[in-house]
Amino acid sequence: MLKMTHLAKVYRTEVVETYALRDFNINVKEGEFVAVTGPSGSGKTTFLTIAGLLETFTGGEYHLDGVEVSKLDDNARSRIRNEKIGFIFQAFNLIPDLNVFDNVEVPLRYRGMKSAERKQRIMDALERVGLASRAKHYPAELSGGQQQRVAIARALAGSPRLLLADEPTGNLDTQMARSVLELLEEIHREGATIVMVTHDPELAARAQRNVHVIDGQVVDLAEDPRFHANAHLVGANS
Amino acid sequence: MDILPILSTLRRHKVTAALVILEIALTCAIVCNAVFLVGQRLDNISTPSGIVENELLQITANGIGDQPDAHARITADLAGLRQISGVDSVTMANQVPFGSSSWNSSIKLSLDQKRPTVQSVTVYYGEDIPKVFGVEIIAGRAFQTNDYTWFDDAAKSGNATFPKIAIISDALARKLFPDGNAVGKTIVTGTNEVRIVGVVKRLTRPSIMDYSTAGYSMLLPIRMTMSMGASFIIRTQPAERERVLAAAVTKLKAMDNRRVITEKRTFDDVRKAYFASDRAMTGLLIGVCVALMIVTALGIVGLGSFWVAQRRRQIGVRRALGARRKDILRYFQTENFLLATIGIVIGMVMAFGINLLLMAHYELPRLPAIYFPVGAVLLWLLGQVAVLGPALRAASVPPVVATRG
Repeated sequence: MLKMTHLAKVYRTEVVETYALRDFNINVKEGEFVAVTGPSGSGKTTFLTIAGLLETFTGGEYHLDGVEVSKLDDNARSRIRNEKIGFIFQAFNLIPDLNVFDNVEVPLRYRGMKSAERKQRIMDALERVGLASRAKHYPAELSGGQQQRVAIARALAGSPRLLLADEPTGNLDTQMARSVLELLEEIHREGATIVMVTHDPELAARAQRNVHVIDGQVVDLAEDPRFHANAHLVGANS
Repeated sequence: MDILPILSTLRRHKVTAALVILEIALTCAIVCNAVFLVGQRLDNISTPSGIVENELLQITANGIGDQPDAHARITADLAGLRQISGVDSVTMANQVPFGSSSWNSSIKLSLDQKRPTVQSVTVYYGEDIPKVFGVEIIAGRAFQTNDYTWFDDAAKSGNATFPKIAIISDALARKLFPDGNAVGKTIVTGTNEVRIVGVVKRLTRPSIMDYSTAGYSMLLPIRMTMSMGASFIIRTQPAERERVLAAAVTKLKAMDNRRVITEKRTFDDVRKAYFASDRAMTGLLIGVCVALMIVTALGIVGLGSFWVAQRRRQIGVRRALGARRKDILRYFQTENFLLATIGIVIGMVMAFGINLLLMAHYELPRLPAIYFPVGAVLLWLLGQVAVLGPALRAASVPPVVATRG
């Protein structure tokens, strides 16, 4: 489903080159629920932005659903984001001027979907996250947990092949985080592929598989000497 | 199209949206009326005179003291001017098209008619005016030498020596005799009956009050003397005008050194002077329109830039959710189109109101309906051009912005 091979991402200035990702390798199979963990600045979010085609990469290869994406132009990348990827952001990223219904509708409009089908999908997605009755509410009228559920509904409405979640419970209290996580698990059980970036060990533990990123590389914690120097990470990578 | 979500967004930004709408509405209302007024002024400026303007010169001279033998003096003056190399023909006329003062008469179709058929027809006096002015006779004939009488004789002797024939303009002929040929018909000017012997294609009046009747003119076979503001009219080749004008002034002074030349100009100068205020008003109105449109465009650019900056994260989210650059561009263009459309609709109502005010206070005609779509298209284009810069900046926001706090 998602395969990165020797992938590199370099930020260049006139005087310095900074490797955000270096020789980064990952292979996520269809239907997997993978948690990507690592300390701050390790490159987790860079990985997610590249995986979601929000950013380009500097070297290596990236195959998404069998398509090598490095040669795709901006329009093609937009189309893949729209049709194959669902995003769940830490800050929810709902559009404050649109009500819940219109927010969920945004990606479907860009797909050029007919109005009747859009409406059906939106209501199905809102039913699934338990917010159908809040369709006419604006984001500011909802709790953080409800906003994240709307964001999940927006991600699900387009029936994506891959769900990318960036610290999906990072802005929520424990109870709301738990309910969002349960929703993600339910979505996964129904067959969705989920890649979730988090530094929350409890959250990571709920995933099928953990991938650890340190200094822009995927590492095996058991063998990496840096892991032994940072024993507190053990809990994050059970 | 994203119209409903855009309207929904605008509803939540009522004040800023209303300000732009108001700005567009005011500009639309003022521009519609101003363009109409400019059009009217330009129509006025381009009014044809019916004469060969680029071949004519005008010299006005006044004698000092008694002017005995006026007929002989004017005859000699005209003969002297004809001798100048390059002079094609010459006359002394009581007035010229687009002059500042005019000689007028009412016209009736019979002596016992109570109210005139045409209230004000301008009357040209001067020998050979059709030939000198280059006016085309389209029916009947020109005056012959023995048709003429002197102005002072006609004025002194009353009806006995007043001319019995006239030439009228085609516009006047159509007004007086809409059903047939005017030549041979009799009309009454003042208390004098005159028979129409010819019709000229066009001869515009001086001091135009109403441009719809500017072509109502009549020629009488009267020779002017150097009085009552009459002036020498000289016809020459366009390229010879400056030289002939200087030579004619020298000649007139040589023939009477006590003579004072009060005015010497080409007909281009006559037209230029007559329409100076129209040109100034046209320039002023165009300036106001351009300034208003620049201010409106800057308002749109300002608001567009503000909204792009404010919505940068939102644009990134839209891009992340699959919007292409052109979708973002189209979003801002559509938003501007909607604001402009609302502004234009309100502006048209205001334009109509302003026009009613102008009609009531300045006797302006009703604003023709064509100016409404013209104003609308102008404002739509202005809005689209103004919003293009901010919209392109919005379209260049990368999707990764969605992940940045």
